[in-house]
Amino acid sequence: MLRERLEEDEEQEADDCYFPPQRNLPAPGFKPAALVLGMGAVCVWGFWKLGQGIREQNELAREKMWSRIHLIPLLQAEEDRDLARRHMADQAREKQLTGDNFKVYNSDRFVRPTYAVTPANTTK
Amino acid sequence: MAARKPIFNQQVLVDTTPLPDSVPKVNEVGATSAPLLSASFFIGARCRPYNDDYMQCKTENPGKGEFECMKEGRRVTRCAASVVDDINKHCLDEFRKHWQCLDNNNHQLWQCRKDEWKLNKCVFDNLKLEKTIPEAQGIPVHLRSKQIYAHYPALRDPGQAPFKKAVDAPGAEAPAS
Repeated sequence: MLRERLEEDEEQEADDCYFPPQRNLPAPGFKPAALVLGMGAVCVWGFWKLGQGIREQNELAREKMWSRIHLIPLLQAEEDRDLARRHMADQAREKQLTGDNFKVYNSDRFVRPTYAVTPANTTK
Repeated sequence: MAARKPIFNQQVLVDTTPLPDSVPKVNEVGATSAPLLSASFFIGARCRPYNDDYMQCKTENPGKGEFECMKEGRRVTRCAASVVDDINKHCLDEFRKHWQCLDNNNHQLWQCRKDEWKLNKCVFDNLKLEKTIPEAQGIPVHLRSKQIYAHYPALRDPGQAPFKKAVDAPGAEAPAS
């Protein structure tokens, strides 16, 4: 079979009218350059949208941060007043029980108490 | 200042002794997180000087601010309470709609722009307090008519047909800087 074909080819090459079986057909699918360009376009679009999202998130974070900045003094003042109230009540109770306020720390800073005296009998 | 809170796991023990009479009385604001978040920029707009005074006092008295800054703290609380009272007096419906929307949307401000715009307009008309975000880039984010992260378009109600507005955006004509 193969031998026959080879002989046939030789005969054909000897022929003057022979020209080789060249196939000038276009390659199937998109050209590589078009594929790369398309991928580039998709990526550019995606990063553009990503940038928009990040910028908007930054602004939303700024908004949230400022709302908290406006609220912090209010919340801190309430907490501090509560701490002062408890501390003064503690001091008054100590003075009533022992006649004097024992100085626990060698500084005049306010130290938030870790331990608290609890009543023996709770009402509720 | 040690930030350790005494916590009782077995029972709730609260020392109810009031402050001594030498300290002037002040009513606490008593609002929960969503109303405070909703009113925060108006509190900031009216009470910025008091807030700054208080924070300066706290910075200058490290470790003693709890007692040294009580006067400034009372001013801060009174000012914020006045803002919340005024909003309640003039814009109760809009205020309620906005903070309930915040409560329903995980406190995400961008989900509630429609209610926020109505509240901002009412507060500006009645109290002359304006929400401004310092150092904002471009159109301030609370004025943008397009919210990328919102569940629903800012100008339409959920389920509404497209190409119709439920509300006008206040930032549509705002200049981009």
